[in-house]
Amino acid sequence: MTLPGYILRKTLTAIPLLAGVTFISFLLMVHFGPDKTYELLGKNPTTEQIAEVRQQLGYDRPFLVRYTDYVRELATMDLGHSDSSGESVASLIARTLPVTAALVLPGFVLGNVLGVLLGMFAAWRRGTWPDRLVMGASVVGMSISFLVIIILLQVLLCTPWGFNWFPSRGWEVSGPVSYLYYVTVPTLALVLVTLGYNTRFYRAVMVEELGRDHVRTARAFGARPAEILFRHALKNSLVPVLTRFMFSIPLVIISGSLLLETYFGIPGIGKLTFDAITSGDQPVLKAVVGLTAVLFVLAQVLIDIFYRMVDPRVAGA
Amino acid sequence: MRIPGWTILLAALLLCACSGGEDPPAGAELKVYRHAMDGAPGSLDPARSNSIYTKFLTLNLYDTLYRYRYLARPYELTPNLASGMPSVSEDGLVYTIGIKRGVTFIDDPAFPGGAGREVTAHDFVYSIKRHFDPATLAAGAWLWQDRIAGLDEWKENGSDYDRAVTGLRALDDYTIQITLTRPFPQLVHTLAQDSAAIVPREAVEHHGREFPNQPVGSGPFRLVSIDSARAVLERNPDFRHEPFSLAAEGFDPVTQSGLGLEALEGAIPPFVDRLQIEFIAEDAARWTALMSGDVHFIKVPVTQFDRVLGSRDPIRVAPDFERDFRFEASRESGFVYTNFNLDDERIGYHPDPEQDRRNRALRCAIVKTFDWQRRNEIFYYGIGQVFPGIIPPVAAEFDATASQAYTQRDLEGARQLLADHGWTPENLPVLEYGFPSSVTERQMFEQFRDFMADIGYPRDKVQPLTFATYGDYARAYGQRQVMLVTSSWTMDYPDAENTIQLFYGPNGSPGSNSSNYNNEDYDRLYRRSAAMQPSEERTGLYRNMNELVIDDCASISGIARTLLFLWDRRAIMLPDRSFVGGFFLRFVDIDTPPSDGR
Repeated sequence: MTLPGYILRKTLTAIPLLAGVTFISFLLMVHFGPDKTYELLGKNPTTEQIAEVRQQLGYDRPFLVRYTDYVRELATMDLGHSDSSGESVASLIARTLPVTAALVLPGFVLGNVLGVLLGMFAAWRRGTWPDRLVMGASVVGMSISFLVIIILLQVLLCTPWGFNWFPSRGWEVSGPVSYLYYVTVPTLALVLVTLGYNTRFYRAVMVEELGRDHVRTARAFGARPAEILFRHALKNSLVPVLTRFMFSIPLVIISGSLLLETYFGIPGIGKLTFDAITSGDQPVLKAVVGLTAVLFVLAQVLIDIFYRMVDPRVAGA
Repeated sequence: MRIPGWTILLAALLLCACSGGEDPPAGAELKVYRHAMDGAPGSLDPARSNSIYTKFLTLNLYDTLYRYRYLARPYELTPNLASGMPSVSEDGLVYTIGIKRGVTFIDDPAFPGGAGREVTAHDFVYSIKRHFDPATLAAGAWLWQDRIAGLDEWKENGSDYDRAVTGLRALDDYTIQITLTRPFPQLVHTLAQDSAAIVPREAVEHHGREFPNQPVGSGPFRLVSIDSARAVLERNPDFRHEPFSLAAEGFDPVTQSGLGLEALEGAIPPFVDRLQIEFIAEDAARWTALMSGDVHFIKVPVTQFDRVLGSRDPIRVAPDFERDFRFEASRESGFVYTNFNLDDERIGYHPDPEQDRRNRALRCAIVKTFDWQRRNEIFYYGIGQVFPGIIPPVAAEFDATASQAYTQRDLEGARQLLADHGWTPENLPVLEYGFPSSVTERQMFEQFRDFMADIGYPRDKVQPLTFATYGDYARAYGQRQVMLVTSSWTMDYPDAENTIQLFYGPNGSPGSNSSNYNNEDYDRLYRRSAAMQPSEERTGLYRNMNELVIDDCASISGIARTLLFLWDRRAIMLPDRSFVGGFFLRFVDIDTPPSDGR
């Protein structure tokens, strides 16, 4: 099958998947989700006022009508307005998504690149003390709470008790230098918290790959370690590496940044989503849930395409 | 060894970044005050405002007719946009209020030519009408419902803004006349609320759903930006020039002389160019933000009380903080209490008079068992003020000499009550203690269960009833489904009527009377006092009502928390979170502009 045909087939199979995901998420998070009515009401509401607010929010309409509207809104990207702030949901997402992407991208990339390198290093030195050191450090990194790491880094780098080099909160980015000023500490936190998990995963992948026949053959031919690791081992283990990398993206963007955004006062989509969940801001919630589902499906399609590119056996099949 | 060029570039950038870089954030040259709030606001439409966090913003973006004097304690009303205090007819029903001339809204595309027009009495009339338009999703109607003549009919007739309301009229561009259906002495207080802030009709119609994010007011500041982390406001250059006067604001040299306020005499507020309000709900983050100098002010988290306080009685700040910070301990303008849902026959009113008496005895036994001292120690660091009943200490009508018996633990008395009325561990009802899901609320529930165990209440008969969000919890008790309702009330104005109404029968759920207390004597006294101006007689009635609630054991009440404020010494101000609330931000000054560029 040609690549365009393959993409078309994957996209078509994604449609029922999207329908199922949106239906279940609508049922759980919107239909049975938090009720915004009582947060909008005044201090001494009457039954009549409650009914009015419910009507304005559309809570009194039948389930199927609400779900159909939801699907239509997603399809047309007419996502309505936030019940809390009144701001257009599309503009909220357009404003917050790039901030989150800029916030997590360096940490996400660094965490994965360093994880691959350390994983390769530990796998190459398997069973020796450097391997044990890397794995021990990984377990320590995995064991410390994200929150503790954030607070420790803030105290160390953002207060007079430490070096006081960076701000403890804010996001007034106007160029590369101010970007580094605001992103450095969150990036360090993200790298520290993800590095342990990534290193252990990539080490396991590399250990398996380094034990294969073609690697032994390369060694027998006297290939240099770097050549063996990068050319023969890493390239052949790209399928699990890519899978982990791609599926992490929606999670990192939507939920992974929540603590960073909260503790560093960064106006990203993680905080927006959290606030929407806790306050029952359904238009925002519906949009984020729907877009996350789309992102996951997109990641799935992209992974399938990457598989074909990195592993000819998939294309052949 | 050869060092790659890109690593040198990255290192150079990082070095620049440590000092904020060569492109410091905008506003570094301005006089900026950074204020931390422990919550985020909702909609900035004054009609939809229903939290103290929103109030801090709306009161600075919009004008109200009245406000509270900045420094006067007890709190006192003073004209804001109004040209003076209202003239009131002899029967107390007709209020005539003049407004200042020449006050303009900020510039906005909603106005012809984009230039802000003059604020008129018609704008006030329009702004109050909006609360009675269902499409507004307004939160403030309860302040004027059934009180301003013709407003409810206006709503019933379709909320047509071009139709007049008999009791809410602009006599001319500068004169407002409000006609009440019955005397309502608290009316002027309601006109100092952000719900009564004045918005221009053109802007509401022009911006539609986006109006809350494009505020068009005549307040001391205008909105630059707002997101989930902060709001940035800048000085409204056209705000009316009214020199600051210590005397007019109620300055007390004995208690307020150390704040540097004297230097502000005669200056024109607002004093700062930019107001940055950070929304930091997390205690640790708020504390770090103050310590790192990223904000000037915080409400101290309870977790840091031990560190900040040098002494609890009297409350004094620790010496470590005195050099860099100013400190204020402030009693909250409200209280925390746990109501019994009297609509629940297991513990409340019962058609069988004998069972009704037994239920009352059970409630009183629970009240006697509740250990306010431990509640205060564990959750409020022992500096909250426990008081009997429903008139909190901040109210002028509070009785400091009242008996404290209602809040003192009496296990023997509680056991006796249970025994006298035939309650045994076997026939005691299951107590359902409601709360929105959070660690602190859960801890409070566990403590309550522990208290009850001391009188032999079986632990499995004290059950938590948890809700995912506060909205869900409010819905449940609004529908009378929660047996024990723990909540707090923040007073809207410094008149105990605002808390007395919490037990007025007709205000039963879904209204503010979450105990569904229904006592004819109480309601009669409430109606009688509602028409009275502040007086000893009215205070006496309020206290009688307080006694009725205590006698009926309708509520386990209460405690007024003590809030600790800590702020950078460079900020010249007296912060307030109660009635002055957001009004004080126009009077904040910064001694020297921050030099760190943050």
